[in-house]
Amino acid sequence: MRCFVGKIVTHEEVQSDLKQLIPDAALRRRMSRVVKMAVSTAVECLGGVAEIPRVDAILTATGWGCLADSEKFLRNLITEQEQLLNPTPFIQSTFNTVGGQIALLGHNHCYNLTYVNRSHSFEDALLDGMMRLADGESRRVLLGAFDEMIPSLETITRRMGWWRHHTAGEGSCFMTLTPEREADSVAQVVQLDFPIEELSAEECRVRYATTPDAELIYCDATYEELYPTRSAARFSEAVQRIKAGTKEVVLYNNCMGMRPTVLVLQWLG
Amino acid sequence: MRIAVTGLGVVSALGVGVDRNFAALAAEQSGISPEPRILKTTHRLPVGELKLTNEELHRMCGVELKEHLSRTALLGILAVREAIEDARLASDARVGLVSATSVGGMDLTEHFFEEFMADERRGRLRDVRMHDCAASTEAIAAHCHIRGYRTTISTACSSSANAILQGMKLLRHGILDAVVVGGTDALSAFTLNGFKSLMILDEAPCRPFDASRRGLNLGEGAGYLVLQREGEHARDPYCYVAGAANSNDAHHQTASSEEGNGALLAMQGALQMAGVDPSAVDYVNVHGTGTGNNDLSEGRALLRLFGDRVPAFSSTKGFTGHTLAAAGGIEAVYSALAIARGVRYANLRFETPIAEHGLVPEKHHQTACAVSTVLSNSFGFGGNCSSVLFTK
Amino acid sequence: MEQLILELKEHLIEELNLEDITPEEIDAEAPLFGDGLGLDSIDALEIILILEKNYGVRLANTAEAKPVFYSVKTLAEYVMQNRK
Repeated sequence: MRCFVGKIVTHEEVQSDLKQLIPDAALRRRMSRVVKMAVSTAVECLGGVAEIPRVDAILTATGWGCLADSEKFLRNLITEQEQLLNPTPFIQSTFNTVGGQIALLGHNHCYNLTYVNRSHSFEDALLDGMMRLADGESRRVLLGAFDEMIPSLETITRRMGWWRHHTAGEGSCFMTLTPEREADSVAQVVQLDFPIEELSAEECRVRYATTPDAELIYCDATYEELYPTRSAARFSEAVQRIKAGTKEVVLYNNCMGMRPTVLVLQWLG
Repeated sequence: MRIAVTGLGVVSALGVGVDRNFAALAAEQSGISPEPRILKTTHRLPVGELKLTNEELHRMCGVELKEHLSRTALLGILAVREAIEDARLASDARVGLVSATSVGGMDLTEHFFEEFMADERRGRLRDVRMHDCAASTEAIAAHCHIRGYRTTISTACSSSANAILQGMKLLRHGILDAVVVGGTDALSAFTLNGFKSLMILDEAPCRPFDASRRGLNLGEGAGYLVLQREGEHARDPYCYVAGAANSNDAHHQTASSEEGNGALLAMQGALQMAGVDPSAVDYVNVHGTGTGNNDLSEGRALLRLFGDRVPAFSSTKGFTGHTLAAAGGIEAVYSALAIARGVRYANLRFETPIAEHGLVPEKHHQTACAVSTVLSNSFGFGGNCSSVLFTK
Repeated sequence: MEQLILELKEHLIEELNLEDITPEEIDAEAPLFGDGLGLDSIDALEIILILEKNYGVRLANTAEAKPVFYSVKTLAEYVMQNRK
């Protein structure tokens, strides 16, 4: 099973104006920060709202979901003692808000799924996309990951001792995937594996690299900036290396105490 | 390659286990109670609540109280364990889990936040450890000895139908040899108040597909199936999952389109994958929440798909309430039982058809029916529509 | 009445997050829903809360609210008649 990566964009790379990326004011005004961040990354990746109908699967991944809206509704519920609560943060708090808003923005009725599996969310969504492409169920997949950091989560996780060695992060990253090489293809994913046990850097090389020149991106719990879908940003980094001339990158992700995942990316050949 | 349903597990307001649920369905005994007894809330609204405390659930699961699992995880453990035992599945690295939830550990987070809001140094951390959705999946896997690939899906009220769809693919691609699929959601003040703020909670027991319907009742529970490739199972299958599809209504964040576009596409997709003609469908377990919007929109989608020959259908939410991410799993268990035992369930409290489409659901429990093809619908926020087709 | 209309407009802008719009730009007699301000069913729920929280005016459901919610002016009239 393999697939080709087309355009890939992280939220730091979003150039266009928010109102241009999300022209529907009625949708935009209800969006929290993370929804704006993720949807604008997705639209920038596709090259505009008019391109949304061209994808036939929308897959999103998030470890934490729309935290700010969840917290807002919860705080209101407690302060107002369950009376006269605003519905907007509740309806925007669901984990599939971003995927749903992209579909709504582009009037796209296609397959639309959201994976919420901590540090595996991105890889799980990628697996779904790769299976759909292999089965001929999709020809062009939009895949993205997002997570937001909010002050109370930072406080809580600090109390849990998370930030002794790294800092709290957030981000979003979207890409397109196709089953065959296209004009916009930049790299290919040739393997996605979910090993049961942790692997050392050496073991990763031995087991997954097909060439001695393969570069390894080895991510255990030593990220500088940490959030559940951080591996999507690392995936983007691997794609950049391929674009710069590297022929193979092995990406090992085991950053948040779940089981590891391994991805092998190659140049187009 | 056919995908067989070889194990069933369910927990709902009707009780713990397949037998209790089926007995209540057959006796037309609703699980909706006039108000919550376990859930802490000021609202006196009818709910489909399992009348067991978290302490009692820990004991039933054989989990020590100090583990302090979320209610969502506990309900999931009970249902997954039943499904695995039912399928006579051995613990193996090739057995996986695709679990759905929409509230995750919110029931515990609610307790934490009350203290945390007063003083950010306060609130017991063990009350937030299980906040995220994957925490329930990991707890279920650990306590049910599931060692293979596992993931968590959250697409609001269609979540566990999508878990079934993804489980099928994992088997077809040979990534797993057996997969437990379904979902779990506990009642929480968060969701109860959420649906209240949308003004779609009925103050009386819900009346799906009735002209006088006033909204839904919130429920809780878990429902899981064991799926295996045909010929690789230890016991005779209940039925097969012949098709499943997801489609987006792309109409509104919470409301369904008037004509039920997403619903129609999902049902058509499931039939198409299975290569089954609409005329072959014997029974539809509809989403049928009891809200004005859903039952009108879903009814129209049924008419568009089946024309003037809409098959027998019913919503079982009058028994269980709307169990959100668990609904697709619980109703998949009911659908499998409908085929295996030749029954169609009652749509409780139906009296008058909706004027706009005039559809009449099954009013009473029907036995000794030839039920070989069942469609099960689940629709959620974000326009997320899914349909699963079960065949004999 | 004029003061109430202005106040209602300010509440709408604040609570519904209407961006780049001033109270003066909202026509008090134009429809709020559909072609006018382009509000939807969720906004209707938010407006019910605005009325209840600020003026103690209760509306049981959105169906009952339909004629009342036609424009800012009809909202203001309803508040005048029913406020406590």
